[in-house]
Amino acid sequence: MKKLWMVSILCMLIFMTACSNDAANTEESSGDGKTEVIFWHSMSGELENVVQEVADGFNAEQDEITVTPVFQGTYEEAITKFNTVAGTEDAPAIMQTFEVGTKYMIDSGKIQPVQKFIDDEGYDMNQWEKNITNYYSVDDTQYSMPFNSSTPVLIYNKDAFKEAGLDPEKAPETYSEIKEAAKKLTKDDQVGFSILNYGWFIEELIAVQGGLFVDNDNGRSGNAEKAVFNGEEGLKVFELISEMHKEGTFYNTGQNWDDIRAAFQSGKIAMYLDSSAGIRATVDNAPFEVGAGYLPVPDGVDRQGVIIGGASLWMAKDIDEEKQRAAWEFMKYVTTPDVQAQWHLKSGYFSINPAAYDLPVVQEEWEKYPQLKVTVDQLKNTIPSEATQGALISVFPEARQKVVSAMESLYQGVEPKEALDRAAAEIDQSLEAANRKNGSQ
Amino acid sequence: MPSLNMNADPKRPTLRKNRFSLPSLEGWLYVLPSFLLFIIFLFYPMVRTVYLSFFYTDTQGKPLSFAGWENFTTLLSSTSFLTSAKATFLFVLYTVPVGVILALVLALLANQKMKGIGFFRTIFSSTMGMSVAASSVIWMFIYNPSIGIANKILNFFGLADMHFLLDPNTALLSVAIATIWMNTGFTFLILLGGLQNIDSQLYESARIAGVSSYYSFRKITIPMLSPTLFFVLTVTMINSFQSFGQIDILTKGGPTDSTNVIVYSIYKDAFINYNIGSASAQAVILFLCVFILTVIQFKLGERKVHYQ
Amino acid sequence: MTIGKKIFLYLLLILSGFIMFFPIVYAFMISFMQGGEVLQGKLIPENFTLTNYINAFEKVPLLRYLINSLVVSTVIMLGQLLLCSLAAFAFVFTKFKGKNLLFMLFISTMMIPWEATMVPNFQTVQSLGWLNSFPGLTIPFFAMAFGTFLLRQQFKTIPIELYEASQVSGISRFKFFLTVVLPISKTSLITLGIYCFLTAWNMYLWPLLVTNDEKVRTVQIGLKQMQTQEIASEWGVVMAGVMLVILPTLLLIFVGQKRLQEGLTRGAIK
Repeated sequence: MKKLWMVSILCMLIFMTACSNDAANTEESSGDGKTEVIFWHSMSGELENVVQEVADGFNAEQDEITVTPVFQGTYEEAITKFNTVAGTEDAPAIMQTFEVGTKYMIDSGKIQPVQKFIDDEGYDMNQWEKNITNYYSVDDTQYSMPFNSSTPVLIYNKDAFKEAGLDPEKAPETYSEIKEAAKKLTKDDQVGFSILNYGWFIEELIAVQGGLFVDNDNGRSGNAEKAVFNGEEGLKVFELISEMHKEGTFYNTGQNWDDIRAAFQSGKIAMYLDSSAGIRATVDNAPFEVGAGYLPVPDGVDRQGVIIGGASLWMAKDIDEEKQRAAWEFMKYVTTPDVQAQWHLKSGYFSINPAAYDLPVVQEEWEKYPQLKVTVDQLKNTIPSEATQGALISVFPEARQKVVSAMESLYQGVEPKEALDRAAAEIDQSLEAANRKNGSQ
Repeated sequence: MPSLNMNADPKRPTLRKNRFSLPSLEGWLYVLPSFLLFIIFLFYPMVRTVYLSFFYTDTQGKPLSFAGWENFTTLLSSTSFLTSAKATFLFVLYTVPVGVILALVLALLANQKMKGIGFFRTIFSSTMGMSVAASSVIWMFIYNPSIGIANKILNFFGLADMHFLLDPNTALLSVAIATIWMNTGFTFLILLGGLQNIDSQLYESARIAGVSSYYSFRKITIPMLSPTLFFVLTVTMINSFQSFGQIDILTKGGPTDSTNVIVYSIYKDAFINYNIGSASAQAVILFLCVFILTVIQFKLGERKVHYQ
Repeated sequence: MTIGKKIFLYLLLILSGFIMFFPIVYAFMISFMQGGEVLQGKLIPENFTLTNYINAFEKVPLLRYLINSLVVSTVIMLGQLLLCSLAAFAFVFTKFKGKNLLFMLFISTMMIPWEATMVPNFQTVQSLGWLNSFPGLTIPFFAMAFGTFLLRQQFKTIPIELYEASQVSGISRFKFFLTVVLPISKTSLITLGIYCFLTAWNMYLWPLLVTNDEKVRTVQIGLKQMQTQEIASEWGVVMAGVMLVILPTLLLIFVGQKRLQEGLTRGAIK
C-alpha cells in the first residue's frame, strides 16, 4: 500500500513536469515565420469539418499565414470565454459570434470593425450579398464579416399534401392558406402545422410583414428603449398560433430543433418552419417528398422578406496589427465565390458572395435539391429596410427567452395580446436597466 | 464500502485525550493542501461573488457602482425568481426522497446472496457511468411526444399521449424522473456498501429468535443503515439543488419557467444575459439556503442517528 | 430461501435491471441507426453496421480524447484520494485549534454553485499559466469536501486500540496513516476512487474553458462537437460516441464492483 502511494505520487510529479514542458513547447513551435491566426468557432458536427476544410484550403494556398480553427462550445460558451481572455495573449484573432450577440460585441469595445480594412484597401463590398451584410452594418460601419447565414423557410410534407387533396407543388403563402391547409392535413395522428418555440421565428414572422421588434428603428438609429413587437404585426402572429392551437391544427413541439424535426420525419406534423441551413438533411432523411416555401404572411400584407440569422466573424482589437491583417486576408479568402460555393453546398448556409450561385457546381446541386433555391430566392427578394435588417438589442438573448415564454403561455390558453404585452413589458425593464448601466459608464 | 457512522463510538470520549496528544501543527499540515486549494478555487470566487452581488455590473461583469441590497430586493420581489425558488424546492422534493427510497429498494434486492448478483449490481450502478449530457439526450428522445418510447408505453396501456416536457404541469416531474434515474447508480452503490457493512450475525440471531423479516428490517437494517442513509440524503440533496445539465438539454427552463430552477436561472443570468450582479445575488441566496438546510439536516439527522 | 421466493426475487431483479438499463440499451440501438431512422422513432436499427462508430472516430480525434480523459481522470482521482485522505486523517486523528470550524468550512464548499466559480477560476488558472495544460485541468479539483467527509466517517470506525498500539510501538503518525489507516480503509478508498474518476470523466464546461487544443481536450468536449443545433445532428454518430465513452466507465464499475466484493468477503473492513 505504501509503495503504491509512493509510486502514484512520483507518477504525478513526473506527469506535472512533463506537461508543463509540453505547454511551453507548443507555444514556441509557432515561431516558424508564419503568422498564426487563431479562429474560435462554434461549428460542431459536420460543420466543423467544413470549417477545417476552408482553413486548410487557405493554408495551402499561401505560405505566410496559418489559420487554426478551434471549437469553443456553443455560441454562449464561446462568448463567455472570449469575454474573459479578450485583451490578453490568449485571445483569438477571429471570433465567431451569433447574430444576437452583435450589439454585445460592438458595445464590448474588444473588437476591431472590419470596415477599417475595407477602407484601407478599397475592398469592393458590392460583391457581398447586401441582404446579409446589412445585418452586421451599424451606422454605415461594417463591424463583422457574415459567415454562416440562414433564414427560416416553410417545410412541408408533399406526400401528405397529395393525400389531403392539396397541390404539393404550391406551398401555402398566406395565413388563411396555412390555416386551410392545416385543417385538411390534420387527421388521425397527423397535425397540420408547427413552429419551434424559438424567438427567432417570431422575429422573422414580424419582419416579413415589415414590423419592427424594438423602437429607434429596431435599435439601429440609437439604443433601443422599448419593445414594439406587441404591435399589430406581432399580434397577428400570436393570434395565428393561438387560434390554430385551439382548433387542434397546431402542434406544440417545444424548444429543441431535433424534437420538431422528429415530429416532421415521423409524420406527426405536415408543415413547419425550419432554418434554411437544415433543409438538405431534412430532405435526405425524410421517407417522403419534402417541399419548401416562403415564410407565410397575413392576408393582404405585402411580403417584405426575411432577416438574416446565423453568425458572423469578428476581429479582436488588442492584438498585433500583423495578426489583424492576416485575419483580414483569411476573411477575404472565405468570401471568394469558389470557397462560398463549397461552403453553401457542404454546410447548407447561404453564400455571402452571390457569384457563387452561378457556378456550375451549385447549379447542379440545386437541380437535385430545388428546395435550396427557394431559400436563396426568398433572401434575394428581400426588400432592405429597418425591419428586414433585424433588431439590434443589447439584451437580445434575454428578449428571446421572454418571447419563448410568451409563446409557451399561449398553449396554456393565455390571450395573445396579454402574452405579448407581458413579454414586451419585461423586455422594456431589461432594456431600461441595460441602458442605465451604459449611461453610468 | 464506507461505514458512515455519524455517532461516535460510545467509549471514544474517554480515550480522546490519548488520541489528540500531538502538537497541533501536524494536524494543520495534513489539512493544508486541501485548505489551500479550497481558498484559491472556492472561497476566493465565492467572496468575489458576494462582493459582486452588492454592485451593478456592466455586461463584461465589471462592477460599476454600489447597489446596496438592491440586487437582493429586486430578486425577492420578482415573480420569476419566486417561481424559480418554488421550482427548485419542488425539484428537490421530487428527486431526493423517491431517489433514495428507490436506490434503497434496489440495494436490498441486490444484497441477496444469489447467483449472478454481481451482474445485477453492475447494471444497477451503471447509470453512474453515464454523463449527464449523454443521459439527457437519451431522455429527450424517450420523452419526445411524437417518437418517444414513453408515449408508446402509455398507448400500450390504453392511455392517451402526454406532453411530458412541453406541459408546464408535467415538465418538472419529467425532468425529476430522468434525474432520479441518473442519480440512482451512485446512491445504490453507497447504500449497498452500507448494507454489506451490517454484521451478518445480527440477522443470524434474529433468524434464530424467529422474528419476521419485516421486523428485522425495521429493527436491524434501518437503524444500522441510518448513518449511511443520512450521508446519502445530505449529498443527494446538495446535488439536487445544483442540477443543471439535464435542465439545459431537456427544457432550457421552460415551458413558462416551470423548470427554471435557481441554478439554471443563475446560469442564464451569468452566461447568456450578462447580468452578473443579479446572478451573484442568486448564487448567494442559493448558497445560504442550502447551507441552512444542511445545518438543519445535520442537527436533526445526528439526533436521529444517536437515538437508535 | 424457498424456490418460489428465489424465482420472485430473480423476476424482480430482471425487471428492475431492465428498467434501469433500458435507456442505455436504447442509446446502444440508436448508435447503429443511419440518417433519418432516429427521427422517425424506430427502436431497432435496420442493420447493425459499424459505420457510425467509424464515423465517430473520424469526425473528432476520439482516441486522443479518450487517452486525455483517462490521464486527466486518473490524475484527479489520485490527487483527490491523497488530499482527501490526508485531510480526513487530520480531522479524526489529530487535534488542532479551529478543527470543527475548519470542518464546517470544508463541508460548506459543497454548496457553492459552480457558476459562481467558473470565471474567477478561469482567470486564476490563466494567470498561473496553466491554460491548455494538464495541471489546469486537474489541480483545481484535488481538494474535495465530499471525499473528505466520506473518508472522515470511515476513519472514525477504526478501533482506537489500533492507534494506541501503534503509539506504544513508537510508529510515527504518518507511518500509522500509511500502514494502518489506508489499508484498513481500502474499500472506502476504492468506492471514492470510482466516484472521483467518473465525476472527472464527465466534466465538460471546465475542460472546454481551459483548453484550446485537441492535445489536451477530453471526451465530453468531443461528444459536444458531434452535436449541432440548427442543422440536424447525426444522432447515430453521437450515440456511437456516447457508447465508446461509457464503455471504459462501465468497465471500471464492473471491475470495481468485483474488487469491492472481494474486499468485503475477506472481511477487510472489520
